[in-house]
Amino acid sequence: MSDKETKKYLQQSHDKIFESNKKWAEEMKTKNPEFFDKLSEGQAPDYLWIGCSDSRIPAEAITGLGPGEMFIHRNIANLVCNTDLNVMSVVNYAVRHLKVKHIIVCGHYGCGGVKAAMTPQDLGLLNPWLRNIRDVYRLHEQELDGITDEAERYDRLVELNVVEQCRNVIKTAAIQQAYKRDGFPIVHGWVFGFRDGLLKDLKIDFEKMLGEIQKIYNLAD
Amino acid sequence: MASYQDAIDRLVAGNRVYAQRTAERDPNAFSELSKGQAPEVLWIGCADSRVPETTICGCRPGDLFVHRNIANSVQGDDINAASVVEYAVTHLKVKKVVVCGHTKCGGAAASLGDADLGVMLNTWLHPIRELRRTHKSELDRLPDDDARALRVAELNVQQSLDVLKQHPAIKKAVNDRGLSLHGVIYDIGHGQLRLLDDAGVKKANGLWAAPN
Repeated sequence: MSDKETKKYLQQSHDKIFESNKKWAEEMKTKNPEFFDKLSEGQAPDYLWIGCSDSRIPAEAITGLGPGEMFIHRNIANLVCNTDLNVMSVVNYAVRHLKVKHIIVCGHYGCGGVKAAMTPQDLGLLNPWLRNIRDVYRLHEQELDGITDEAERYDRLVELNVVEQCRNVIKTAAIQQAYKRDGFPIVHGWVFGFRDGLLKDLKIDFEKMLGEIQKIYNLAD
Repeated sequence: MASYQDAIDRLVAGNRVYAQRTAERDPNAFSELSKGQAPEVLWIGCADSRVPETTICGCRPGDLFVHRNIANSVQGDDINAASVVEYAVTHLKVKKVVVCGHTKCGGAAASLGDADLGVMLNTWLHPIRELRRTHKSELDRLPDDDARALRVAELNVQQSLDVLKQHPAIKKAVNDRGLSLHGVIYDIGHGQLRLLDDAGVKKANGLWAAPN
């Protein structure tokens, strides 16, 4: 493409977003004239979703939810790092202010971030972030080393990463204190698969995990 | 406890419908998606449940690489957002970076006052609260808090773009291949996106110049 053609193409793809947005807004208004007025009043989502930035997994679309229903944080490889003020602020706001009932950490098979972390390569600015995934591997080194098929090993690391991030959510004071007081939120670990578009529940036993975690990380009192 | 589980059942059912409909419309949809992603746009938006980017833009899975946090704030010392930018710009080679603020933003509204939101949120919102101080006379002239919160939301988009412009991957991509940055505001009360015409570096590559 020539420079001029590239610019024209970029302009069109950008225009398309605004056109689609207008069309969507009109459709919603036709279906329900009060739709936007209601949303304007505030949000009370039941769910907090912590997912991957990957463009192929728009949380609300793959769960069939509409605007107003799910509070969403997305980052590289759906990590919940203990010292990350960004994700910790999201968890804090969702639990203490919005009082969400469920927190879903959702990973996905074929995750580029997880793959990058398994590549013995200096990735510059991404190194510190992806090191958290290498740490997950180290925690489960024996199990992962025992899987001979590379694709299978990689899929398993995606799952173990989700479980570890659920643990990190449960380590926070916000979750432990809210659960003790209200009996929620409950933390879930899921994995999205591209092969069939379905979510797999890793069936985390929330209460058991909370109990184990509180042996060392108890911040409930 | 039953009702809590019902809320989860709802997501699982919604996902089944999504998977079925997608496969019905295009039997190859998932095998295509499983090959990889090549999104054109990095979307940095608010975690607010009322601004689901893919839905409001009428986009499809695969279109937008997404980072969402409290008040769509990009901060220089935040490794989370910086990693998203690095991956999207250097590895996926997105062509555009969009920062989207919105009306009725809880973060922007909270930044107008000094209420103690706990140490975590106070720290995260500090750069936005600073905007109130640095733009005090302009904000004081506005008629009410709704208008002030909206202006803070706009200034916050601008501030996030300013931080993004200093990201090494973005600097390089703007120079090497004409990556462009754009600021938008989503109006929750009308469901519409509005482009902030003074926000980006769009003039650098001719995009969004006056229509000819």
